[in-house]
Amino acid sequence: MALPPTVPFLDWAWDDLIFLVLAGVMLAGALFVVIGRDIIRSGLAMIVAFAALAGIYVLLGAVIVAAAQVLIYIGAISVLILFAIMLTQTKSGPGALVFHRQWWAGGLAAMGIVLLMVIAVINTDWPGKVGERLWSATGAIALLLFSDGLYVFTLQVIALLLTAAVVGGVFLAKREEAPDPGEPRPSTLERLRRPVDVTPPEQP
Amino acid sequence: MSQSLEAYLILSALLFGIGTFGFLARRNAIAMLMAIELMLNAVNLAAVAFGAFTPALQVHAALIALIVMAVAAAEATVGLAIVIAIYRNRRTPLVDEYASMRE
Amino acid sequence: MHFATEPTVGSGGQLDQLLVIALLALPLAGFALTALVGRRLYERAWVIAVSAVVLTWLAGMYLVYRTLIENAFGETGLRFTLYEWIAVGGFEVSVNFTVDALAAAVLIVVCTVGMLVHVYSIGYMAHDPGRWRFFAYLNLFMFSMLLLVVAANLLLLFVAWELVGLSSYLLIGFWYRRRSAALAAKKAFLVNRVGDFGFALGIMAIWTTVGTLNFSEVFEFLPAALGAGQIEQWHMAGIALLLFTGAVGKSAQFPLHVWLPDAMEGPTPVSALIHAATMVNAGVYFVARANPIFAQAPEAMLVVAAIGIFTAILAASIAFTQRDIKRVLAYSTLSQLGYMFAALGVGAFTAAIFHLITHGFFKGLLFLGSGSVIHAVHDEQDMNRMGGLWRKIPITHATMLIGAIAIAGIPPLAGFWSKDEILAESFKFGFWWVWAIGVVVAVMTAFYMFRLMGKTFYGKSNVDPAVEPKIHESPRSMTVPLILLAIPSVLLGMALGLPIGDGALHHWLEPVFHEAQEVLHLPHEPIALFGIDGVLLLVGATAGALGLALGIYFFGFFGRGEKRATVERLTDRLRPLYNAAYQKWWFDHLNDLIFVRFGGVVARALWWFDVRIVDGAVNGIGAVTQGAGRGIRHIQTGRVQNYALGIAAGLLVIAVTYLFLVAR
Repeated sequence: MALPPTVPFLDWAWDDLIFLVLAGVMLAGALFVVIGRDIIRSGLAMIVAFAALAGIYVLLGAVIVAAAQVLIYIGAISVLILFAIMLTQTKSGPGALVFHRQWWAGGLAAMGIVLLMVIAVINTDWPGKVGERLWSATGAIALLLFSDGLYVFTLQVIALLLTAAVVGGVFLAKREEAPDPGEPRPSTLERLRRPVDVTPPEQP
Repeated sequence: MSQSLEAYLILSALLFGIGTFGFLARRNAIAMLMAIELMLNAVNLAAVAFGAFTPALQVHAALIALIVMAVAAAEATVGLAIVIAIYRNRRTPLVDEYASMRE
Repeated sequence: MHFATEPTVGSGGQLDQLLVIALLALPLAGFALTALVGRRLYERAWVIAVSAVVLTWLAGMYLVYRTLIENAFGETGLRFTLYEWIAVGGFEVSVNFTVDALAAAVLIVVCTVGMLVHVYSIGYMAHDPGRWRFFAYLNLFMFSMLLLVVAANLLLLFVAWELVGLSSYLLIGFWYRRRSAALAAKKAFLVNRVGDFGFALGIMAIWTTVGTLNFSEVFEFLPAALGAGQIEQWHMAGIALLLFTGAVGKSAQFPLHVWLPDAMEGPTPVSALIHAATMVNAGVYFVARANPIFAQAPEAMLVVAAIGIFTAILAASIAFTQRDIKRVLAYSTLSQLGYMFAALGVGAFTAAIFHLITHGFFKGLLFLGSGSVIHAVHDEQDMNRMGGLWRKIPITHATMLIGAIAIAGIPPLAGFWSKDEILAESFKFGFWWVWAIGVVVAVMTAFYMFRLMGKTFYGKSNVDPAVEPKIHESPRSMTVPLILLAIPSVLLGMALGLPIGDGALHHWLEPVFHEAQEVLHLPHEPIALFGIDGVLLLVGATAGALGLALGIYFFGFFGRGEKRATVERLTDRLRPLYNAAYQKWWFDHLNDLIFVRFGGVVARALWWFDVRIVDGAVNGIGAVTQGAGRGIRHIQTGRVQNYALGIAAGLLVIAVTYLFLVAR
C-alpha cells in the first residue's frame, strides 16, 4: 500500500511527521534521564533517547552513523552504565535528593547556553536541502580512514585511546586486596575453587 | 521542517542544554555521566546535520560522528571505572561525598 | 699623593705642607693606635697619645714660627690643596688648608694647652681603668680642632666642627655609667646641633649665593656681590646671623649656653681643654675668620655684640652663687667668651683674638688647678667643704692665685691687657653700653674669682675630717703643666700686647682684619696714653682691683677666712636675686618646659598618629587581604559540579559579551 504524499488531516510531509515524533521521543527521553528519580529508569530512558536519535540519523541520510549509534551507544555504553548502576546501588528513598542545591543555577546556565545557540542558529543563513541517504557509505569511509585519506592518523590515535581506556578501566575498577601477612597466599586455582567472598571490606 | 538545517540544530541545542542541566544538577555520579553522554550525542547530531546539508562533507561528518562515539565510549569506560572505585571507598555514588579536596 | 699648590706667593715649601699634614695626621694616628691597642697597654696607655701630641706641638710651633715670626707666607698665609674631595656637577669641594696669621695665633693656644692637658692627664687619670679611651678621645679631639683651625673651606670646617662636637660628647660622657654624665653629654650634643643647624643653613645660603665654599673666594665674592647690588643687605645680614648661630651653639652663648655648665660632668682635663681653651673658642675663631662677611653686615655685628655682652653679665651673675668649683669656672668661661663676642661685635677683632689667647692659658690653668684641688680632697667639688688648703697644696695654690689675678684683670698680668683692650675699643668705637656693662662684669669677675679662692684655699678648713689627713699635693705630671701655664698667664699679655694697640699680635693680625676695619670705618687714631686711653686703662684696672678687694674682704685671704655671718646676712637681704642667680635664671626650667614637656606632648601625638593611622592603614591592607581570602576560599568546595557551573556561567558571559558587545 502506498503512503499518501502528505499526512492526512494535517497536510504535512511524512518526513516532517517522523521527524517531530522522533524528536519528541528523544527529548522526552532525555528529560527523563536528567529528572528521573530512580536511576535505573533514567538509564532505560537514555536507551530510548538513543534509539530515537538513531532514527533521526536515518532521516538525515547517515545510515552508517545510525547503525553505529545503535551498536555502540545502546549496545555497549548503555549496558556499561546499567552495570555500573547495579554495582553502586543505594537506597534511593524519598529522603535522598535528586538534585543539588544549585540545580536552579544549573538550569539557568543551561537555558542560557541553549538560548545563545538558538539565537545564533536563527540569525544565520543556512544552505538548503537534505542530501541523499547514503546506504552504503562504507567504502567512502573506509577510504578516508585507511587509505591516504585524512583520518589515518586519527584512527591510530583512537585505537590507542581505546586500548588505554580498557586497560585503565580494568585497573581502576580492580578490587584491592587487603594484605594479610599471617596466612600464605592461596594460589589462583585455590581461589577459584573457593566460593568468592562478596562481603564488602571494612570501612577504612 | 525536516528539510531545514535549523530544526536539527535547534534540536541539538536543546539536547545539549538538557545534558548540561543534568550534569550540573544531579547528585548521582552515574547520572552525571549519562548527562555527559547526552551532550556528546547532541554534538554528534549537529555534526551529522551539517554533513547532511553539505554534500561535500557528508562522509566526513559521518566519520566525525563515529570518532566522537569511539571517544565517548572510552570516556564512559574510564569514568565509570572511577566511580566504581570511589564507590568502594565512600560507599555512596553521590558526588556530595566526593568533596574532600576542599578549602 | 701629590700636593697641588696654588701659584701664589703664600704656598710655602714642601716641608711646610708636610708639617700641616703631620699636624693633622699625628693626632689622628694617635687616636687610631690608642683605640686599637691602648687597652692592652694598661698604665702605659698614654704613651702613644702623648707622644703624638708632643710631636704635633712641635710641628705646630714650627708652623707658627714660620708664619708669624719669619712671615714666610706673606699676607695670605700658607695655602695648599691636598686633594679634590667632591666634584659633583657644579659642586666642587677639595680638601685644602690655610695657615695664616689668624690660624697661627689660635694654633699657639690649641697646641700648647692641648699638649699640657695631655701631660696633665697622665697623672689625673692614672687610676681610671678607662684611660686608654680617654687618651684616644683626646687625640681625636686634637685632630678635629686642628682640622677646624687649618681648614680653608666651609665644608671642611663644618666637618671639623661636627667632629669637635662629637669628641666633646664622647669626653663629657666619658664616665658613661654615671647617669648625669650621660645626660650632660646628650645635652651638649643636642644644643650644639641646634647651632649647627643654623650654621649649615648659612653655608647653604653662601653656596647658593656665590657658588663656592673656599674661604678666599667667599670672602672676596660675597662682599663684591653686595657692593655690586646683586644681593640685598638683609641677605648678607641673614647669612652672617646664620653663621653666628653656629658660633652661639659651639661657644655657648645665650640662649644656647645651657650645655656648658653641665659639661663639667666630664673629667677636669676635658673641661680645661675643650671648655676653656679650644672648642668653645671655635666660635670666636670662626667669626673672626668670617670678618669680611660680618663687616658687611653691621646689623649682624650689633646682634653679636649684644648677645656677647649679655651672656657675659648673665653668666657672671650666676657664678656668684655656685658652690661647685668647676661650675664657677664654667660660668666664668661663658662670661669671658661673652667678652670675646662683644669685642667681635664692636669691631675689635684683634682684641677678641688677644683675649682668646690669654684666656686660653689662664682658664686652662684655673681648670687644671681646680682638678688638682679636687684630686687633693679626694673628689670633693663643693667649695663649702674646702678651705684652708693654701698650706697643704702650695704649688696648686700659687698657680691658681696667679690665674685668678690674671682673669681679674690686674696689671701687669695677661688678662688685664686683653680685657682692657676690649673695653677700650668698645668705648672708642662708640658702643658705650658695651663698655659700661663690660666694666661691671670685670668687677663681678674679680669678685667671684676671689670668692672661689677664699672658699677653696683660705681661712679654716671645712674639709671632711676623714679626708683631711690625706690631703697631698699632686704628682709632678700635674703640677708641671700648672707651672708651665702660669708663666704665659703672667707674661703673654705684655709680650703680645705691648705697646698698647701696636703690639706684636696687632702686627701679625693686621692683614687679616684691616679690610674689615676699613669697611666699618673704625677709628685708627694713635694711642694717647695720657688722654682717653689712659683713663680707660685706669678704669679697667680699678674695676678689677675693686672686685678683688671685695672678694678678699668677704671671703678671706691666706690666714683670714670667710666672713660667714656677713655674707649670710647680705644673701638674705638679696634673697630673690640670689635665688634667681642660683637657679641659673630658670633658663633650664624654661627649656625643659618648652622642649621636653611640650615636645613630649607633640611627640606623643605624632606617635599616636603613626601607630593608629599609618600602621593602621598598613595593617588594614593586610586585614583586607585576609578577609578577602577568607571569603573567597569558600569557592573551593571540592565539588566538581560547582566548578562546572562556574565554567558554564563563564562561558555564557564571555559568549554574550563577545556577541553583543564586541562583534557588533
